[in-house]
Parts: sequence; structure tokens; C-alpha cells
Amino acid sequence: MASSGWYVVSVILFIQLFLARVRGARSYYPLSSGSYNHAKQPLQTFRPYNIAHRGSNGEIPEETVAAYLRAIEEGADFIETDILSSKDGVLICFHDVILDLTTDVGNYTKFANRKRTYEVQGQNITGYFVVDFTLEELKSLRVKQRYPFRDQQYNWKFSIITFEEFISVGLEAERTVGIYPEIKNPVFINQHVKWANGKRFEDIFVETLKKYGYKGSYMSRDWLKQPLFIQSFAPTSLIYISKLTDSPKILLIDDVTMPTQDTNQSYWEITSDSYLQFIRNYVVGIGPWKDTIVPAVNNYLTTPTDLVARAHAHNLQVHPYTYRNENLFLHFDFHQDPYAEYTYWIHKIGVDGLFTDFMGSLHMVPGMDLSSEGCKECGCFIKDNFWHDLSI
Amino acid sequence: MASIWNISVLLLLVFGAANAESNVNQEAKKPIQTFRPYNVAHRGACGEIPEETAAAYHRAIEIGADFIETDILASKDGQLVCFHDVTLDDTTDVKNRTEFSDRKRTYEVQGVNVTGYFVVDFTLEELKSLKVKQRFSFRDQQYNGKYSIITFEEYITIALYADRTVGIYPEIKNPVHINEHVKWTNGKKFEDIFVETLQKYGYKGTYLSESWLKQPVFIQSFAPTSLIYISNKTDSPKVFLIDDVSIPTQDTNQSYAEITSDGYFSYISQYVVGIGPWKDTIVRPQDNYLTTPTDLVARAHAHKLQVHPYTFRNENSYLHFNFHQDPYQEYDYWINQIGVDGLFTDFTGSLHLYQEHTSPYPKDIKTSDDLLRKIEYIISKYERA
Repeated sequence: MASSGWYVVSVILFIQLFLARVRGARSYYPLSSGSYNHAKQPLQTFRPYNIAHRGSNGEIPEETVAAYLRAIEEGADFIETDILSSKDGVLICFHDVILDLTTDVGNYTKFANRKRTYEVQGQNITGYFVVDFTLEELKSLRVKQRYPFRDQQYNWKFSIITFEEFISVGLEAERTVGIYPEIKNPVFINQHVKWANGKRFEDIFVETLKKYGYKGSYMSRDWLKQPLFIQSFAPTSLIYISKLTDSPKILLIDDVTMPTQDTNQSYWEITSDSYLQFIRNYVVGIGPWKDTIVPAVNNYLTTPTDLVARAHAHNLQVHPYTYRNENLFLHFDFHQDPYAEYTYWIHKIGVDGLFTDFMGSLHMVPGMDLSSEGCKECGCFIKDNFWHDLSI
Repeated sequence: MASIWNISVLLLLVFGAANAESNVNQEAKKPIQTFRPYNVAHRGACGEIPEETAAAYHRAIEIGADFIETDILASKDGQLVCFHDVTLDDTTDVKNRTEFSDRKRTYEVQGVNVTGYFVVDFTLEELKSLKVKQRFSFRDQQYNGKYSIITFEEYITIALYADRTVGIYPEIKNPVHINEHVKWTNGKKFEDIFVETLQKYGYKGTYLSESWLKQPVFIQSFAPTSLIYISNKTDSPKVFLIDDVSIPTQDTNQSYAEITSDGYFSYISQYVVGIGPWKDTIVRPQDNYLTTPTDLVARAHAHKLQVHPYTFRNENSYLHFNFHQDPYQEYDYWINQIGVDGLFTDFTGSLHLYQEHTSPYPKDIKTSDDLLRKIEYIISKYERA
């Protein structure tokens, strides 16, 4: 009798553990708020997505916890990041393959001998490469604001974070905030970092997402609870993971002169109708550089291309990058007014999402706030959706 | 028969000339808004088009300015022109003109030696032969060399011919320097000609009077004696401009501290309806962040003085970090937190859009005039194509 009692108890325990894994998969990283999935303000899906490009990096050094928290505070729908890998195979949030431009790596004598030259996407790059540093070493560095004309007061205060820490920031938010991670430089990463069991960068990437319960196709119930877009410039990576996860994917498209890093295809090929038709089997949208959609000459917009129309015809969303408030990034049509740019892209071009460094400003564009009366909790001033008198 | 015809033609001409402004019926126009802070197009739409040109002013009116602003100087032959600097070097092609190569001078202006081609050394015809360019290299250069300097009267005409009521905001600029270098007949001064020009075009009436609402005007100057001097010549409202904390007044050599004291406000409020301070003196920045606001606005308001700070610009190099490189957040702060009554801006279109979205019509209607204005405003929305 005692043995069967033990048996029952152990089965019950086993079931509980199993359920815990399925339910929240949070047993590894227990965090303060328990049932984060319930009673949260849902993600808005009736207007273009406000995608916080690298977090609120207009104000705070990019891809740090502080930048992501600030982005959520300012009204972002999604927080975006670039995933690379450390030497010991831990996925981290970092944009450049080298540490030189946004960290203090050059100040450490112990790292002085780590400088290397590697070929990345056909170009020789010299610097301190992320893939040559263990996670512990990366964590010892301090991050700074990339652009000198932005606020420097947070330099050296924050560290690089891991993919899992980024996910936690998204899940811990008081309202539903989506994540938008990029499989960044996968060709380069897979060359330099090896994982056990023959797994690749893309495998670890998807496993991490699944560990935190990210699943479900676009607009499914699962997806709406934990919204996610997986982005990459490398089509084969997206195709590869399509068997591993049904989460929606976005094909990023670089400037017209840049071929894809994995398939060496030109811009013209991957934006052709036949390619869009093909890639539609794997992705729900494209993320082009905005100056390829509407090219600029002498800092003035020229006639828009038909890329958005054709993408939409193939049922592909369009999320261009990157919108910035500073006048040096604004074409003269917008008269140095970032709101004029946002309004043009949302109402004239009709994009479905925008990668921006200034999600606070985008959030306050008429029609982009959380309610038609204006957003009381973040105090934005737009109280009206009256935008049609914009003379662009 | 011929003589009666001659006389009647003469009479028509005389009456026609006397009513220079009545060519355009100012009565039937959409009135100027007075329920929210004034959108003052500083030097026209100079964020987009070279400053103080006809094109810059037309553009400013097109994109929603309440007032178009200008700086009035005088040519060698006593003609009043719209131009900001005392020298022509920074915004015209004068340096490329061989015919003027011997005109370079050094004069003392407000205690500082300035070298260049001075406006006061060129006749109107010569000034008109120059071509104007965009002052800032980071702004649109495509209109460089296309436009000329305009006269005070041309500027006034632009405002009067607008299809809605647009106010003018001219400055009696560098009057000490002008009166030193330019002489008019009959012992008249710069300020006399300035006011005469306004009156010729029918500008009169105290602030918010019927005459003023038909043809709104603010006369501005950094020189208090000029404003006091003209106060018995015209009842048009005047605004006293205040420079940075280290710059004394050009005519009375008074310090910032003195001209912003309560005692001075009591005194000057007899002559002016408002002050126009440099915005960084109202809320002083440190390390490109705002510090605690001074009490300047509160004290000005206590003396029934409006506050119209200068100058608001969209470019991030002009925006303190509190505003996150967002010019609309700067407008929001100054209008809603500081509570100013008007704003001089290089980007009148942006300010207009901000105001249209945040305060599209009066919140409370106190008089029948307000109600009629509100109805007018609502109807006018549907008149747009």
C-alpha cells in the first residue's frame, strides 16, 4: 500500500511539474508578478504597429533594459532587438558584430589582445567581436549611446542583456507588449559559434522563444497573448525555422545594393513578384529600408515605388525601418518635422508597422494613441484624431 | 467736359491712394484666432525657405501662421526693408558682386565692432539687385538665389492680400544704428517712418479692438525708448523684446535684471502689452536639460503683460533633451506648462498642426463674439477642399 501511495504522489508531482512547464515555462526564472498572462490590456491591432527599434534608443543607450522599459512606458506595441551570440553560445541583445562603437571594450587592458579582422557579409571588419567574448566578459562591459548628438548622460551605466532578459522585460510589462527579435548575422554567427548536438544559432533562437511560451500563428489566441515577430535578413534562416515554429516571421530587406548574406540574391530579385509569392509561404511581411520604398534625391522624396502595393497584393505586411526625429534623418518634404514623416508613411503610403527610435513621438501621432481620447496614463497630448489637414 | 472728366479721375485716384488697404475687403475674411497662443512665423517660414522673402511669408500663411514676423531696417536712401542682420554677408550673394566690392565697412553696433557689407550703405535699388539665400546650411538650399529682399510695404501687402486675417509683427530693428547712419527729411527718425508706413495701410487700434482685429499688428523692439517714442503716435500694441541675460539694451544700456524687475514691468506696461524674451532665459538649460523655470512669466502675467518667447526650431540641435528631439513636446511644454501667450517659431507649420490637434476650438465661450467665431471656425473646416 505504501509503495502505491508513493507512486500516486510521485505521479501527481510529475504531472504538476509537467503542467508547470506547459503552462508558463517560467519555473527556471521565477519573477515577481505571478500570473502575468491574465487581465492585461491587449495589444492593439487596428493601427500600424509602433515598433521600438532597439528600445527607446533616441533617449537611452540601445538594447538595454532601461531602453526597453522606457519604450514600453512611451507606448510601444513591440520592443525590438538584434540577437547575436557570445563565444560560449549564449544569445544576447546586441546590434553590431563588434563592440567598439557602443561599449567601453577598448578601455580594458585584459581584452587588448582580442582585436580581430573577420569577413562579414563580404567585407573585412576589424574590431572586438561579440563572438570572441564569453557572456561573463560581455556582461562586464558598459554600454554607451551610439550617436554623439543624443543624450550622453546614461553612458557607462548599463550592461548588455541576454535574449532571455529581453523576453522577461516584454512579459513583465503591465500591458501586452510584443517582442520583435532579429536572427542577426546568422551566417557569421554559425561560422564562429558552435553548439552541442549539432544545433545551430537558429535552433537555439527558437528554443529560447518556445521556452517562454511564444507560439501561435499571427493573430491566433496564443499570439495575441504573447505577440512576436521573428525578423531576419537571411531568408534561409526564416525558412529553416518555419518547421520549428509557427510564429510569424518578417523578411528584412536591405538597401538596393546589398545582396542577401546567405543566398546572395539582389534586392531586385527578392522584391520581385515571384519572390514575394514564394516567400509568402514562410513570412507574413517584409521589413524594407524606407528609402528604398520611396527613394530620395537631394534629400527630397521622389515618386514612391510600388513595393508596398505589391507586398500588400501578396498579403504581406510592410514594416519599414527606421524612423528618427533628428532633422539630419528627415527629408526636406517633412520640414524637419518628424510628425509629418510619420503621418506621410501611415496615411499616404499605408504601412503596417514602423521601426522607430522615437516610439514616444510615434505614439502621439494622431490616430496612433491607445484610445481616441488620447492616452491618459502616459500623458500624451493628442486628444483628437483630426489629421487630414496635413499638407504633405 | 474734359475738365470734369479729369477732375473725377483725379478724385478717384486721390481716394484710391488714400485707402491703400481697402483694395482687399478685410471684413469678409476668416478672423484671427485669439483663444490660444499666437503662432508667430518668425521671419516667415524660414525653416523651409530663405528668411524674410515674399515666398517665405506666403508659405507661412499657407501653413497656418497667425502672424508673420519681420525685422525692419533702412536702406541708404531711407527705404524701409525687411532684413534681419545689419550686414548682408550671411544671407545674400553680396560677396560675389564685384560692383559692391568696395562697400565693406567696419561699424560699431551695440558696442561690438562688426565688419561687412552694411544694409545702410546700399540704396534700395542695389539691395533689390541682390539674391537671398538660406541662412542655415542644414536647411533646404534649393531656393538660394531665387528671391530678393522685400520692402516693408511689400510685406504688409502680403498680409493684407491673404485670404484670411493674418497679422503682422514687424520689429523696429537696431534703431540706434539706423538713426546714426540714415537721415530722413524734416528731421524725421526711423521710428516715425516706421509708424507712418503702418498708418498708411490702415493699421490702428488698441489690442483686441475692432480695428485691430481687422488688421492685427504687434510692433516689437529691443529698444524701449523707441517703443515709448512711438506710443503717442500709434495706439497699436507694442511688445518689448528682451535679449540674453548678458546683453544690455542698446539705447538705455540697462541690464537684463533691471528690465525684468517688477519695478520696470510696472513702468513699461504703460507702453507695451507684452514682452518677447529669449526662451532660454525663462527656463535656463544646463547640459542641455531644462532647470527649474524662473518666475518671469508669472511676474509678467501679474503685470498684465503677454509673453511671446523666441525662437522655437524643429532641429534637434535646438531642442533640450527633455523634449526627446521632438519639437511638439517642446511646444506642449511651453504652451501647457509654462503658459506663454505666443511663440516665435521658424516652423509655423508644425506649431499650427500641434495647436490644431490639441486645441482646435475654444473650450469656453464667454461672449457672443466667441460663439460666432466658433461657428465660423467649424464651418470653415468644411469649406476646405
